Amino acid sequence: MTRREAADRRQGMLLLAPTAVALGALTVYPAAWVLWLSLQHRVPIFGVSRFAGLDNFAFLTIDARFWSAAHTTAVFTVASVALEVVLGVAAALAINAQRRGRAVALSFLLLAWAMPAVVAAKLFEWLYHPVAGLINVALGRHALNWLGDPGIALAAVTLADVWRTMPFVAILCYARLLAIPADLYEAAQVDGAGRLATLTRITLPLLGRILLLAVLFRTLDALRAFDIMFVLTGGGPANTTETLTVYAYRALFQTLQLGFGSALSVVVFVLVMGVAWAYLRILRTGSVAA
Amino acid sequence: MSLGTLRATRLVRALVLLTFAGCAGSPSERGPVTLVFKYARILGNADPLPSLLREFEAQHPGVRVKGEALPWASDDQHQFYVINLEGRSPGFDVMMLDCIWVPEFARAGWLLDLTPHLQPAELAPFFPSAVAAATYDHRIWALPWNMNVGLLYYRTDLLAKHGLAPPETYEALVEQVRLIRARERDPALDGYLWQGKQYEGLVVNVLEALWANGARLITDDGDAFPEPARAADALRFLRGLITTGVSPAWTTAADEELSRRAFGDGHAIFLRNWPYARDLFEAEGSAVRGKVAFTTLPGRARGEPGAGSTGGAHLGVSRRSRHPALAVALARHLTSERAQRAIALGAALSPTRQALYHDEELVRRNPAMPRLHALSLAGRPRPVTPYYLLVSATVQPEFSAALVGVKVPERAIEDTRVRLGHFLGALR
Repeated sequence: MTRREAADRRQGMLLLAPTAVALGALTVYPAAWVLWLSLQHRVPIFGVSRFAGLDNFAFLTIDARFWSAAHTTAVFTVASVALEVVLGVAAALAINAQRRGRAVALSFLLLAWAMPAVVAAKLFEWLYHPVAGLINVALGRHALNWLGDPGIALAAVTLADVWRTMPFVAILCYARLLAIPADLYEAAQVDGAGRLATLTRITLPLLGRILLLAVLFRTLDALRAFDIMFVLTGGGPANTTETLTVYAYRALFQTLQLGFGSALSVVVFVLVMGVAWAYLRILRTGSVAA
Repeated sequence: MSLGTLRATRLVRALVLLTFAGCAGSPSERGPVTLVFKYARILGNADPLPSLLREFEAQHPGVRVKGEALPWASDDQHQFYVINLEGRSPGFDVMMLDCIWVPEFARAGWLLDLTPHLQPAELAPFFPSAVAAATYDHRIWALPWNMNVGLLYYRTDLLAKHGLAPPETYEALVEQVRLIRARERDPALDGYLWQGKQYEGLVVNVLEALWANGARLITDDGDAFPEPARAADALRFLRGLITTGVSPAWTTAADEELSRRAFGDGHAIFLRNWPYARDLFEAEGSAVRGKVAFTTLPGRARGEPGAGSTGGAHLGVSRRSRHPALAVALARHLTSERAQRAIALGAALSPTRQALYHDEELVRRNPAMPRLHALSLAGRPRPVTPYYLLVSATVQPEFSAALVGVKVPERAIEDTRVRLGHFLGALR
């Protein structure tokens, strides 16, 4: 190593240090602490604190409530992300095709997305109101028990989430659409491609990479979904809308079982890391055209 | 050591001793003392609390009381207390507590034991069930501040029109709903509204159904469902109310306000709710003004007479308060007869002192007070245990599953017992 390289390296380390310290203090240390807690029976307010080994995780394997929450989380994630992608792309294409009023349409989209999740949830609480809610009034005699029927409560919660987060996908896609050079479309026209062929051969492939990124963000958010179900249903009825994070919240902050709650958090953490890693691999291998 | 330095050391020691002696004296003599009182703000412009706090300051010169608002939702309040009390820097002296938290906080060592501060008969004027909720390990940890009890509201106009007296059993209630709805022929008229959403309110409603059927949720020793067959029958009955249409399908998503509004709009015959609803029904512009009365919750035909679940707020003193004597005095002042009368007049919260239910001024404002007294007296507290929140969080999804028909009651009860056994076992 030349002297110059060594100096460069030292300077690099120095510049990295603040980030490393911040990440260490704010992410690595708490994560390690949660991992340590998950190996204990720990309920501080009752003075319970003893090593439990893998007890908490062993209980999770036979805990019906945990498996129900895992199932709910999976269904919610797949359904909400799929709907968001389909609707988001459709909205982006629609805005792109619009001649006038693009700014207005975009600001309406942004409005929904900028709304805090709790506010959106409260809004839907009124929309889903069984007696006076707009949706049930419109349905008339076919009114549904949106938040009280175990068969549809999760769908109702998912719809509320899609309404709020679909604009995120739409705006990312719209930005990408603007960047597709017009001569590509002209060339396609010259070659005699129809509208469908243009969409499937040019537009969608070019959206691929940005869509994958949007899906990554949305999937990670959906796996950690908490606020919308916490406000709308509290996890009910019969726990059909209780996600892993809602279950972890109840254990950590309501019943104060820090050890057990940490074990749940560790599971969510591993899940999120695994999914992120898989997505990043796909992105890196470049299997999707830019 | 020279004589000079010895003298100097003695002087310093004496000074130090003097300083500490000064601290040990009455704090009010040493400049301003600030007490912090944490409570949930009372909505509306008639909040009687600020003037009650000023009154206390007038009686205790040199003491300032700061009222600080708690978060709005009960869960958030609990979380606030847990974080601040566990973190060893409470920053408040007197705190408003939901009565179900008192044994938990006492067991955690966060509350000052009030027993030595109390006169022998000081708690006699309060409702025994409220005092029971403030008692843990034979000691008193909080002063009851306001009272809540589950009530059965009914439409006096509809019952009178069809020549019916308020039902004493759930079976009679179901019959009356059938009869009235058959004769009224109003598809928008629901029968019996109650709270079946998966939350604390569901636990309260199910407890009342269990008690009416002679069943308990948990024994003092922590055994869940000591009468499993009766408990299953109670759950099945509640489910039946929904499947037979006596209660609307949306009962499984209903909390207090949802059911209170539907009844208040005139869309139901019966409603289970707390005393606060009465004021709203009797308010100007209410669709049911003058058409509503309340009575005790029904019992079961071959079970026990009905009783409402009690609830309410208590005032506790932080064990790390730096002015315990003053803090106890403030809690005592706020729970005094004068203060509770002012709160009942200004904010319509029910007092915990029984005599106030026959107070002339209060009865004039709310003629139903004496009736409310009898029902509050007959009310039963939820299980008084430090593990109440754990019990409640465990049973909520199981009760909800039984109500919506995802699990048969026996299964829900068995699953609850297994889970509770596991979690309570880990606490011992």
